[in-house]
Amino acid sequence: MKIYVKAFVSISDKEVRVNGKSLPIREEAEKPWLANIYYSLGFQYPKFFKMDNLCKAGFIASELLMGQLGLTPEEPKRNWSVALMSHSGSLDDDKTYQQTIQSADNYFPSPAVFVYTLSNIVTGEIAIRHKIMGESTCYVTKSFEPKTAIALSECAFLPEKEVDNQIFGWCEYLDGQLSVKMFALSLDGEGALREWETSVFTI
Amino acid sequence: MNELISTLKQEIIEVLNLEGMTPDGIDDNAPLFNGGDPSVAGLGLDSIDALELIVLMERNYGIKLKNASEGKEIFKSVATMADYISKNRTK
Repeated sequence: MKIYVKAFVSISDKEVRVNGKSLPIREEAEKPWLANIYYSLGFQYPKFFKMDNLCKAGFIASELLMGQLGLTPEEPKRNWSVALMSHSGSLDDDKTYQQTIQSADNYFPSPAVFVYTLSNIVTGEIAIRHKIMGESTCYVTKSFEPKTAIALSECAFLPEKEVDNQIFGWCEYLDGQLSVKMFALSLDGEGALREWETSVFTI
Repeated sequence: MNELISTLKQEIIEVLNLEGMTPDGIDDNAPLFNGGDPSVAGLGLDSIDALELIVLMERNYGIKLKNASEGKEIFKSVATMADYISKNRTK
């Protein structure tokens, strides 16, 4: 199976890169890093501010990927799927939620925090935003190991799934530590940056 | 009542993460929920937001809603919410 990379995004605690090129981010000290990225890149999606940090990171990366491909969020994407890998999954939000039920004297479970206490909410948020109709999956794994990642991405392209394009990657957030590597993959090589293989993971 | 309305607006902004919104930008009588209809003015809150408002009333004002059907009237606007709180608050 030949799979191609059409675009890729990486986000760390310090930098946002699209196809290897660093984007200028205006940092305002009073705002969190992910909010600074949101404002700097001119996104318009109020729901962003209700999301947990894992979903915010996934949202930003998927916006950038789709933007590279010239695809609008409104356009239904029937032959697309989204699959991500993460080490901590929703643990960061799980901890936040746990704080709302920690004390019997101050026991007010937050519904808005609770709804993000599942690792696969991040892929769901991306699928909703971009009208992705295919598979939506989040794998909790130890690391973004290339051979495992490629094998998992190939699953989404099995013929019976009728998927030609896929958002695939790594989305990790825990205790302020952020690491995102996300790829737009396709079975169509036209306009591709390169083939989807283990060497891609070093770029 | 005006002070309560002002406080309530600030609490709603904080608890619902309404980024970029200020208390002055919320009309006292505008609908909090628009049923997904963007042509209806208001805050456009959703069902999770409604649950957060219920938690807010319990945590900050000691009000526990006994009947869920009451919520429709109570959460019509900031003004109706403030009116209910002023009559039923225990803290």
